[in-house]
This record gives sequence, C-alpha cells and structure tokens, in this order.
Amino acid sequence: MQTVTLTINQQEVSGHPEMTILELARESGIIIPTLCHHASLNPIGACRICLVENEVNGALLASCVTPIASGMIINTESSRVLEHRKMILKLMLASHPDSCLVCDKGNRCQLRQMAAELGIGSSELDRIPQTAVTEEVNPFLIRDMSKCILCARCIRACQELVIEGALDYYGRGFKAKPATLFKSPLENSECTFCGTCVALCPTGALMEKEEFYRGTIGTVVESTCPYCGCGCSISLEVKENRVARVKPAAEDTGPGTLCVKGSYGCDFIHSPDRLTRPLVKENGSFKEVSWDEALAVTADAFSRIKDKHGSDSLAVFGSANCTNEENYLLQRFARGVLGTNNIDNGSSLYYAAARQAFYDSVGFPGITYTLNDLTGTDLILVVGAEPAASAPLINYEIKRAVKLHGAKLILIDPRKTKLTLFADCWLRPEVDTDLMLLNSLAKVIIDENLVDREFIARKTENYQELLDSLATFSLETAAEVTGVSLEQIRLAAGLYATAGKAAIIFGTGIMQQLQGTENVKALLNLALLTGNIWRKGGGLRALLRECNAQGACDMGMLPDFLPGYYPVEDLPARKKFETHWQANLPSKPGLNALEMMQMAGEGKIKGLLITGENPVAGFPGSALVEEALASLDFLVVQDLFLTETARLAQVVLPAASFAEKEGTFTNLEGRVQKIRKAIEPLAESRPDWKIILQLAAAMNQPLPFNSLEQVQKELEELVPLYKYDWEEKSPKEEDYWETMAEHRLPLKRFPRFSPVEYLPPLKAPDTQYPFILLAESALFHSGSGSRSSKSGRLSRFSASYFLQMNKIDADMMKLQPGDRVKIVSPVGELPAVVEHSESLPRGLVSLPRSRSDYPVALLFSSPPETSASSSALQRCYVRIERSCSDEPEK
Amino acid sequence: MNQKNREIDWSRLNEIIAEHCQERWSLIPLVQEIQNEYGYIPPDAIPIIADKLKLFPSAVQGVISFYAQLYTEPRGRNTVRVCRGTACHVRGGKTILKLVKKELGIDEGETTDDLEYTLETVACIGVCALAPSLVINQQVYGRMNPKKVGQLFKRKDENHEPA
Repeated sequence: MQTVTLTINQQEVSGHPEMTILELARESGIIIPTLCHHASLNPIGACRICLVENEVNGALLASCVTPIASGMIINTESSRVLEHRKMILKLMLASHPDSCLVCDKGNRCQLRQMAAELGIGSSELDRIPQTAVTEEVNPFLIRDMSKCILCARCIRACQELVIEGALDYYGRGFKAKPATLFKSPLENSECTFCGTCVALCPTGALMEKEEFYRGTIGTVVESTCPYCGCGCSISLEVKENRVARVKPAAEDTGPGTLCVKGSYGCDFIHSPDRLTRPLVKENGSFKEVSWDEALAVTADAFSRIKDKHGSDSLAVFGSANCTNEENYLLQRFARGVLGTNNIDNGSSLYYAAARQAFYDSVGFPGITYTLNDLTGTDLILVVGAEPAASAPLINYEIKRAVKLHGAKLILIDPRKTKLTLFADCWLRPEVDTDLMLLNSLAKVIIDENLVDREFIARKTENYQELLDSLATFSLETAAEVTGVSLEQIRLAAGLYATAGKAAIIFGTGIMQQLQGTENVKALLNLALLTGNIWRKGGGLRALLRECNAQGACDMGMLPDFLPGYYPVEDLPARKKFETHWQANLPSKPGLNALEMMQMAGEGKIKGLLITGENPVAGFPGSALVEEALASLDFLVVQDLFLTETARLAQVVLPAASFAEKEGTFTNLEGRVQKIRKAIEPLAESRPDWKIILQLAAAMNQPLPFNSLEQVQKELEELVPLYKYDWEEKSPKEEDYWETMAEHRLPLKRFPRFSPVEYLPPLKAPDTQYPFILLAESALFHSGSGSRSSKSGRLSRFSASYFLQMNKIDADMMKLQPGDRVKIVSPVGELPAVVEHSESLPRGLVSLPRSRSDYPVALLFSSPPETSASSSALQRCYVRIERSCSDEPEK
Repeated sequence: MNQKNREIDWSRLNEIIAEHCQERWSLIPLVQEIQNEYGYIPPDAIPIIADKLKLFPSAVQGVISFYAQLYTEPRGRNTVRVCRGTACHVRGGKTILKLVKKELGIDEGETTDDLEYTLETVACIGVCALAPSLVINQQVYGRMNPKKVGQLFKRKDENHEPA
C-alpha cells in the first residue's frame, strides 16, 4: 500500500494517503489539542484549535481536516502556532460568559481545560457576550446557547450518530447557533432526548438536568443498560453511593449512543419508592420483618405446599431483567429444590413464537448475526417493528446503514413508522396478513430464479417440501388478501434477493400474532432461499424488549428446556444435570407463564415465586391474573418496588437494582455483557442471586455456591453456549462469530425450510368491536413500566395516555383531538384521550404499552388455548365510546 | 389589508420540487425557484422540501438561513434600500432613513402589511455625487430631501421598474 512520508516535530513519520495530520500525529504519540474534533464524528475543522504550521510554506492548517502530503514539515507547537491558538481561544472566551465559577459544567468543561492548558488567564479582548439563553421545559436537558462555541458536535451527533437531524446551524457568522426546525423547543422537535449531544458537548451549553451532584466525578463504573434488549454499554458516575449520571460508555467500543431510557431513566435506582426491608402480610397488611423471618416464612410455605400438594403445585416465574447467573440459580432452585419444571420468564409472552421457529428451523433459538454487521449490509428488511421505540440502538444502526452507507431498506408494516422516511419500499399489508405477504415474496424469489442454488443444495434441508407447498400459491390471491400490489411484491422480492448481504429485523408486531411462529419461519425461509442466514451482514434478528430476554432463555428459565436448550425430556442431557446437581429432575415439560396464571386461577398451582416481573400489569386479561394470584396459597415476590403483583403477595423481598450487583446480561444479538456493582445495595435490599441462595438454604437444601464466580464456573461447564472468556468485557468481533456458530448449534444439522400456510381468521370480526387496538412500545417506557414509571424524569415527560387513531375514523365519529373516550373490549375497558395519527391506517387504533399505572393489558383476553407461542397480546378488537361522564374538552 | 397571512397556493410547490429533486446538489436552485415563485420561501415548505430531497428539515432550514438573499418571510413587491454610506451620512442620510421609516410605517428589515414595500439599508451604492440617495428596486433616487421622500411614496401604485 502507498504510504506518505512527512515530518512532524522533527520526527519522520509515514501514513496512508487518506489520513489527516491529526490522525497521524496521534498515532505517532504527538498531542495536538482539539475542541470540535471527536473520534466518532466526521471532522469539520470548526474550532481551529488544532492548527499546525507547515514550515515548507508557512501555512497554518487545521490538522483535523488536512490530509497528509509527502514532504510536509509540520510543527505543532511553533511560536506562531501557539500565538494563533491562544488568540483563537481568547476570541472564543471573549464571547463566552464569565460564569465559570457558578457554571454546572465546572471542571468538566473542555473550553476551560483548554484555557488552563494554554495558560490563558483573561481574554484581554473587548467582550461581545452572546445572548439568547434558551430555557427548556423538558426534564432531561437544558440548553444555554450563550455558552455555545459552535463546534457542531451536537449537530453532528444528531445527524451522524442517531440520525434524527433535530439540529442544524441556524443563521451565519456570529449569529449562527444550533437550532431545531423553526427554532422550536426540543420537545416540539424531532429530538428523542437520547442524550448523545449532551454527552459530547464540550462546554456548558448542553447539560443534563436534575443531577443531585454536578461536580467532577472520579468513580466511573462500566456497566450495561438495564432496559431493552440492545444492551448498550453505559458508564455510571458514582458519588457517595449514589449514581449521579449515566453516560454512553467509552468511545472505542462504538459511537457511544444511548436512548432516553439509558441516559435519563436510571434514576429509578434512587426512587423513594424502592423497597427497603422484607415485608410479610399479616391480616391483610404488610409488616416489615427481618430477612431471616421473611425467608423462613417463605421456606416453610414452599415446603408445606410441596409436601401436601406435590412439586407441580409450585411454580417459578423468573425475569428477563435479572442476570444470567440469577436465572441459572433460579431454575436450578426450581428444578432441583422445588422439583418442578413450571418455570418461565417474562419474554415468553412475545419471544416464544420466534424461539420455536428458530429452534425448528436452524436448531438454535436465537438470532443469527452480530450487531455491528448492519453497517456493512446491503439491504435491511424490517418487519412488524418500530425500533425507534422498542430498540433505539438498532434504529440508529438501521438509519446509519441507509443514510451513510447506502443500504436499501424495505419495510413491512401496516403502520407508518419512523423508518418510513428512509425506506426504498414500504409494503403495507392488512393487519395479520403478514404470512401471506412473506410467502408471496418467497414465491417470487423461487419463480424468478433468484435463489442461491449452491447454498440451498449444500447447506439446507427440506427445500423440495417448500417448493411443493408453494407450487399452487397464487400471487394474485396474495395481493388481494394483503392489499399489497403485485408490483410492490415483485419489487420487494427482487430487492431482497438480489441485494447481496440482506438482513432481516423483526419485532413483536410479527411475533405476537396467532401465526407468530409461522411468520418467523417464513422469514427464515427467505433468508435460507437467498443464502443470507449465516452471512455476515445478513441473518435475522428479533427485537427483544428486556435486557436479558435472550439470557433468561439461554439459562433454561423455560418450562421445556434445561440451560443451553437441552430438552427436559432428553434423558442423557437430564442425567448430566442430575449428576452435577445431585438431585432428581422432573422429566415432563412444565407450565408456561400464561398456563401458570390459568392453573393458579383453577387452584392447581398453590405456591408461586415471582422475581422482577409484574404480570398483573403486563399479562393479557389482567383482571383474571390478579384474581388468580390473589387466590394462591402462597405468593412471594422479589422486586425493587411494591408493584401491583407484589401487593398480592404474602412475602415481598426487596431486591437490589442492576447498579448494586455483579453479573451478566445477554443482549439480543447473544452478546454476554457484564454489569458491575457501582453502589452498595439500597437499605436492606439484596441481589436476587443472594436471595435465591438464602432461600434454598432456608429450605435446608443449600446450593453449593458462595460466590458468583462459582456460579459462572458451573454455568460454563454445563452450558457450552457460555463457554468463553467472561472476564473480558466482550469477545472480539472476529472471534465472536465463530464462538456463536460453534456453541450455538446443539442440533448439529443443516437449517431446514419450513412450509407454512396462511390461515384466514376463523371468526369474522365482531361488528360490535370494529377497531383493532395495537399495544405499542413507547420510547419513554419499558416492560410493564415497573422501573420506567419510577424514573422521575421519564414519567413526568410522558404523563398522558393518548389513543392514536386515523383522522378519517376520528372524523366519522366526530372525535376531536383531546376528546375523552372509553375503549371497550370484550373483557375490559379503559379511558383514553383521542389523538389523530397520520401513521395508522383506517380501522387501527393504538395505545402505549408499558405503563404500570395504565394497564392496557386488561383489554386483552388471555388466549383460550394458553399457548404462549400463539399469544396475540399485541392486538385485540375494541370499540370506542365517547365518555358521557364529561363534556368533550375544548 | 394585511396580506402576510394569506393562504399560499401550494400547487406550484410540488411541481418545482419535482423538477429539481433528481438533480445533484438540487437544494439551492430549488429554494431559489421557490422564492422566485412565491417571493419568499414559505417556512411550511421546508419539511416538504426536506422530505422529497431526503434531507433533514433542520438542515434545509440551515442552508436557507445561511444565505442573506433567501427569505422565509414575505417580501414587498418593491425593495427600498436607503444608502447609509459615508457621503450620504454626511448629507443627512440618517434623516432620510427616518423619514422613509415614518412614511412606510415600518422599521429596517420589515415589510409593509400590504406587501408593497420592504425596507433595507445599504452601505454604499456608489453614487456619492447624488448623496443622500436611495434605491427602489433598480432605480436610484438621488439628492433626496424630506419633500421628495414624501412624494416618492405617494406614487404607490406606479411601477418603480427602471425606465
């Protein structure tokens, strides 16, 4: 490769021709000060602090944007350079307020640090103070444009990293400022309050609001975000046993972006509502007791129920928000100590469908490629997902791939999502006809001979069956049923099949249908047909809602699988675990989460242990769930808060938050990431893993662990999936893929095509309930809302519940935005306020999910067949009635 | 009548966008043509332009706000530029400006409600011999005095285009 040789500070150095002077200097260990430059952002040479002198011609060059040229003699600290650099900084200071003493940015201000480094005490220039202090009413960040130095880091962060484009310069010269469209406040703009600009702003112009401590913080603990399945790395800044700030983690692992939940939603840790002492219910009210007493009561109850009614009258509902180690211990406790397979975790409600499909098709229930691959992909197909709300990091990745790297984007969604603007092709099928549409794509790909013949012949099974099943498939019928034109179907199929590296991303919109499993199989068929299944930059991934949804399943927190996806019926596998655990394990699959609730209602489940989940708020038919849980002989709940579910319990054990314990989370790409203890557990709360160990001990069947390391060691031994270096923060990208392929394919066979057939709905929609209600993910909330609604900032920002509906539908019912209505489903009703939506087609309405004080789930009926894999929790039929109790508001 | 808030006829907008949106670097020619059509760039057009060009609305606004000759507010049919150069200043240019302001009832940089006049100042127009002077559209009016200013703006309906 061509190299360019030049001299920097009398030192001969060489680099490749695209390098800038700054890059080469840094590589050679020469420090050039910078302000506007940032490793994750494109350099723009805005601040000129980085200027250097080319001694050949005396030119002063901004080193961050000047490419190297051979023969340059660069001096980074000549007297001319220093003189100009100081003057540039003095000019900045001349228009910067003198309020450093009281500025919250304090010692974190890079402008101030730079002044100190260059030895500038006073500006010595006439001051031209900037005006325009912008007050913001949002609870997350404050903008003070008088402190802006126009480095455009915020603008570039918004346009290049999170691709929202809420900000750009407004005006020119001295009057220029970063501004939103029409200079409106952030809350009226495209801003999602992801906090990236705040993390990058060098001065006090952008600052976080409502920190309890504002100074420089020395203790920084690297951890993993506890909200969605993206698993962003975060830095917790700790002061006096409190988490003061959350920032995107170190720059070298990626662009360093978070969403509003990661940046500002972790204040639930210090919510005054946190449980501090164990509670035991006596005569209908809770009493604070000691840990020993609470554990003894629990152990007694479980032993009594087990002796009297048998092991299978007990059940354990674990959490996709707890660590791998905790889930591992909990299922071992359930299987080994309680002796039941009645085990499940919260992700089953939506993820079971996809897990089943993956298991049948590729032999491993999880996604098939890594996160950073998206940057290099040629096409992304997004099906039934709104990643802007449910997986913001993936949303950034998709938009970056499209906007910066030229990838094509196909959307399949009846709703207009935030990605629609970026899409090359948007297929808008009728609700619940996705399977028909996906099959039609497969049909076109086969008919037009766009398949990857070699891959199919060498690496797959069951192709002929797929061909047979599609032989009589009529594209015309498909177009009619789905409402998508033949041209669009052909266009999308052609784009997907000929793209090269094509990735598929799907969300709950497609998993939570009655044919959820079939939907995912149809997607897998597409990936197999085109050879994209294992391809780097190809593959499929499901958007998971919880930080450890994948890990909880990997750990065997499932009714039918032991850790590492060994079926419980598999005798040799079970024997292996029995020998290791020195216990007899139940051999029949247990009850899944929905079945548990049903059986509790029927009195067949007597005792239930729930960790970190809130089924009363999150499960379909919540009124029935509440009734069922209340009827239990014994319910014990481990949680951070006294949730709706915990209120029904006999014993409530205060759990420690993610910041108060060690462990690992597995994100939606299967990456195992550490969480680290940043602060001591609040009051008397304890980490879930300790609680489980103590509970086992209280039942006189202690588990042989004293530390988390011992748990991790056993886990590695028994679960080949997790047998790689835990100590490192995460495996390297190159090794990662091999590790996955090696450990994650227990079936050791080729992936298989799955013929799937679209079944029209059995029942005609009830004319009494003319609308289909979607329960949608909300950016500002997560899960059933137990934690996000305890985050002061998140809950204050989005306090109202709007029923989104198409304007034509609303007009026909004479409903204005702001009108109060009642939403009635066959099983429940909820009040709501109407808002017109441009994104929903007629006949669809939507409500935000994830607020514990607004349980949308109570509108949904529990599916009669109680199969978690076919739960249609995301949608139900409703009618909308005007509230007669009060007049519509003006 | 105040015409600033009148309804905008959007039909031409999409045509103009369609003509340009396939071009490379189409934004500036596009907004110039929109300005020629409407006399200014209606702010409500910004999201539409951004959508069609696949740009961020804030970035489109950024470009428009950068150039002094692009306007996001309605302009008068006639632009009055009063010279504030040295020679005119010495001969009472300041007073002329004050009189024009009074006559039109607007301040510098503003437009009359009937959209007839927009008032601006200019550093020097290069005809110092005729100081104090002002320019309406392309027509120079020299050796101004209070009486002449008064007469000038009485002829509202007349065309100020150069002869």
